[in-house]
Amino acid sequence: MIIVICIGSSCHLKGAQRVVEKLQMLVIENQLENKVILNGSFCMGNCTKGVCVQIGEMIYSVSPESVETFFQNEVLHAVQR
Amino acid sequence: MNDLCTDIGYISLAKYGEQLCGDHVDIIHKDDGTTVVVLADGLGSGVKACILSTLTSKIISSMINNGMSIEECNATIAATLPVCSERQLAYSTFTVFHSLLQSEEVEIIQFDNPFVILLREGEFFEFPKTKIEIQEKIIYCSRIPVQEGDIFILMSDGAVHAGVGKILNFGWKREDIIQYMKPLSVVGYTAKTLTRILIDECSRLYEEKPRDDTTVCTIRIRKREPMNLLIGPPSNKDDDIKMMSLFFSKAGKHIICGGTTAKIASEYLQKPVIPSFNYIDPAIPPVGHIEGVDLVTEGVITINRVLQYAQNYLTDNDFFADWNFKKDAASLISCMLFEEATDINFFVGKAVNPAHQNPDLPITFSIKMQLIDELVLCLEQMGKRIKVSYF
Ligand code: FES
Repeated sequence: MIIVICIGSSCHLKGAQRVVEKLQMLVIENQLENKVILNGSFCMGNCTKGVCVQIGEMIYSVSPESVETFFQNEVLHAVQR
Repeated sequence: MNDLCTDIGYISLAKYGEQLCGDHVDIIHKDDGTTVVVLADGLGSGVKACILSTLTSKIISSMINNGMSIEECNATIAATLPVCSERQLAYSTFTVFHSLLQSEEVEIIQFDNPFVILLREGEFFEFPKTKIEIQEKIIYCSRIPVQEGDIFILMSDGAVHAGVGKILNFGWKREDIIQYMKPLSVVGYTAKTLTRILIDECSRLYEEKPRDDTTVCTIRIRKREPMNLLIGPPSNKDDDIKMMSLFFSKAGKHIICGGTTAKIASEYLQKPVIPSFNYIDPAIPPVGHIEGVDLVTEGVITINRVLQYAQNYLTDNDFFADWNFKKDAASLISCMLFEEATDINFFVGKAVNPAHQNPDLPITFSIKMQLIDELVLCLEQMGKRIKVSYF
């Protein structure tokens, strides 16, 4: 699974750096290094919804606070299946 | 072939207890690449000395710049300087450095300051001086061919007196300064850094309490180094290709700031943008990479930091250690613009990024334009030749 995190200006100001950090941690904690790839992207054109995180076609709006829930619901579910 | 230019740095220390420094350095850059630098040291210290040296350096620099002779400068100074009521004297020393880089020569005119030091290829280089007498003043004139890497050190006598009777018996002599600076001259430091190193040593010898106004001005002869910075998409989408082809046709390194701008460049070059997660400074978005571009960064946040560094560079420069060694995007741009580049072309796209018009966020179009204007101003004050094109 490839997760793309926007690190453009707006998303940066909304905490993209912390989202990236937390996702990196969560991937390691759950030993998913072989299953999940984290990538960066410049502005995805959806700034109002930042921090934008994309999996496949879907763009999610994630904040540093909601990263864990997002990870539970969208990532763990999908990879464990 | 005229690809040499001057890199100039100077610092003055006021005599301990004085608010104003009685030395003054005046610099004029002309569009044709000639530069006039005048270092003057006014009689006495404090306000009087400051007025004398400021007037002297301003008068000489503008007159020389307008092609007048040293005799004419001298006559004007003599007629203009206010006479000190205590000493019945109007007096200021001066050193003139006039670069005629078209002919790869410099002209040096010296009156009563310590003699200019020229370091060439790490060695002291003695250049010939012609002694002339104008109205009882003994003035030394020289005209010397220069080469890349030459370093000229201009000083007021406070520099050679540093340490007298305290740390050193007789102060450190011009010879000691030469020995001190010789090994440093080949490291590749900028004029500003060399100046800082020398002035810090003078200050140390004075035990941080200079007993005289102390000024050092270092001039380094270097090759012109063009640099190009692209920021923002053009206001008209149809100009994308025009903007990109103009940008990439320029000689020198290429910096691209802004995610959307990077995407346009990546389409033009047909190479992918590869972002990274390497947060060296958590406040600055990480650099990206596009094959064929020297540096790809985020836009406004990064440039805002560069501007802070630039403003600081022109004042006390205490952020120097940050941007000179760190590898985040803003530091990298700062090194390239402040140290490497001599000529900078800005390509500024005026598209209003709809993404940035979000009222929650402190980025607006006018802020971006203002950032660039201010940055350009700072770079000009650093002596860079700047061209800005808008799209
Ligand atoms: S900056 Fe993330 S979508 Fe625009």
